Amino acid sequence: MAAPMAAPRNLAGPRDYRGTAASPGRAVGPAWTVRERSAATVASPAGQTEERHALEAAVAQAADELRALSERSDADSAAILDLQIEMLLDDEMLAPVLARIAQGDSAALAWAGALDAYIDSFGDSPEDIFAVRSADLSDLKNRVLDALAGRGRTDFPEGAIYVGKDMPPSLFLAHDWSKGGGVALSSGSAIGHVSMLARARGVPMVIGLGPVAVEPGETILVDGAEGLARINPAGPAAEPATRSVPQRPAEPTDGAGAAHGAAVGLSVNINALSDLDLFDPAEVEGVGLARTEFLLPSPAEVLNEERHHDCYRRIIERLGGRPVTLRMLDLGGDKALPGLVAGGTGSFLGERGIRLLLARPELARLQARALMRVAAYGPVNVLLPMVTLPDELAAMRLLFEEEAARLDRLGMPHRMPPLGIMVEVPAVALTLDLFAEAAFFSVGTNDLMQYLSAAARDDTAAAHLTTGSETALFRLLDQACAAARALGKPISVCGDLAGDPHLARRLVEAGFRQLSVAPMRLGAVRAALLSRGPHIDAASA
Amino acid sequence: MTDLHPIFRRETPGGRWQTEVEVTNGIGLHARPSVTFTRLARSFPCAIEVAVDGSDEWLNGKSIVKIMGARIRRGARLKIRAEGFRAEEAIAALGELVRRNFDEDRKYGRPDGRPA
Repeated sequence: MAAPMAAPRNLAGPRDYRGTAASPGRAVGPAWTVRERSAATVASPAGQTEERHALEAAVAQAADELRALSERSDADSAAILDLQIEMLLDDEMLAPVLARIAQGDSAALAWAGALDAYIDSFGDSPEDIFAVRSADLSDLKNRVLDALAGRGRTDFPEGAIYVGKDMPPSLFLAHDWSKGGGVALSSGSAIGHVSMLARARGVPMVIGLGPVAVEPGETILVDGAEGLARINPAGPAAEPATRSVPQRPAEPTDGAGAAHGAAVGLSVNINALSDLDLFDPAEVEGVGLARTEFLLPSPAEVLNEERHHDCYRRIIERLGGRPVTLRMLDLGGDKALPGLVAGGTGSFLGERGIRLLLARPELARLQARALMRVAAYGPVNVLLPMVTLPDELAAMRLLFEEEAARLDRLGMPHRMPPLGIMVEVPAVALTLDLFAEAAFFSVGTNDLMQYLSAAARDDTAAAHLTTGSETALFRLLDQACAAARALGKPISVCGDLAGDPHLARRLVEAGFRQLSVAPMRLGAVRAALLSRGPHIDAASA
Repeated sequence: MTDLHPIFRRETPGGRWQTEVEVTNGIGLHARPSVTFTRLARSFPCAIEVAVDGSDEWLNGKSIVKIMGARIRRGARLKIRAEGFRAEEAIAALGELVRRNFDEDRKYGRPDGRPA
């Protein structure tokens, strides 16, 4: 009797993998498997060669662009462009950049760092005709950074299902999800940042599947509600009809939209400029949280002040006078920036958020300038991530003041925006009374929960502990809300919690009057706040 | 080209050549003349170096950063030396460029070279 033989894979029936639901919706498409690239490769000599080639390519591209511009320009403009070209071709100029790459810096960081050092060495001496103008150098710096940002960003085909161990947020953000597609991760966490981005964008996602044996191109179904990934799905399940493409949230038709229940103000969270098309600015209070580390997802963009400026300006213009709260770069943890910020689970408790900004002030200064410049266009609030002690707020305020003085010297219009803090470290949530200098507070529930429950948000094994710690969270939130009220300072909730209709109502009961949610959640949360369900009655009894 | 002369090391292909000139244009080597100078220098395969006012510090003559950074003003004495292929030709051309005031007067009106 013949032993049962394993069927050849391509003839096999459906194969199921069970995981954890991270973002609802169903998607079917060809699998796109990731070539794992460990962090070690970046620092290896091979990685350095790659970075050097990237720099050389970007410099060559920038020089070509400048030559084309120069040819079209009058003599005076051409002279300035020719100077920039000459600098790009100068080995003495490139030597410190290459030295930094040899020490392990990414191309973008090495270039920006060397140029900044060069700009600083000149000081700003507009009367000195032997000095290269700092504006020319900044221009040059940004042009090469732009060229670097455009290079080989690993993207995958539209409509495909991403299959991998985990997914970097920058990759998620750079991808066009409008043609469908989904995510199946062998690791990952439901409250990790990619899960949050997927829910906000309506992209079906399953995590914690364990190793998934799938050939590139094989059809795979992701059911984000069931926590299921099925390879070679057969029958009706295989139909890619129910793509959960971002839809405009349903707006209430009873005219209560602007009131959104009691006196609760609903704002939106923004992760990408494309999110601006997912809601009607007239229907929201404003932008409660713009996560700038997601808006500018590559090192080359983060190091480019003009990119910051242009990006923020678009948000402010779209909101047409409604307040926009821009959070400074919250890097570290699961938000790494290749070559700039290593990140990793360890840094959840280490250098991230404002700690990183104060340790790397060149990043903070650049962003502070961009923020103050755009604050001149409309009502802007600036939110500081991961604050633990009042000293950190004071240090950042000082940094803003120093950069304001620099903008003054340069004659650039700017305004000092109100500085508020994230409440996501338990130590802050317990001591809001010490933060009277903060203009406002915003509760980040995802991080507050992970720190409260000592359960890392990127660890599947600890996920149940985080979700189980709601009681502790709400006790802490009660206290924080009361403390903010005693100070007479606004406090809002911008974490995922506020996007859950049931929990949003509990937050309102706890005294919160400002919630900020993903555009996709606006409809559901607004409906929940408008209805007088039994929950509020029961709970307040 | 009276002060153009070869110096030692004839074994180097192209040899080693040096010249000395005085900067006589408007202000000196601000952005535009510096660009003209380094561009011409880079068009030669040989190594080219510049020393200002008798300094023994030799600067890379193909580097805009070094040349502008040297703040070479009108009246400065410029030593230019080259070594390698076409060194003689390079020294002749660069010396002539300085004597012609970098062609600034011919091409541009404004003496400081900044856009109007």
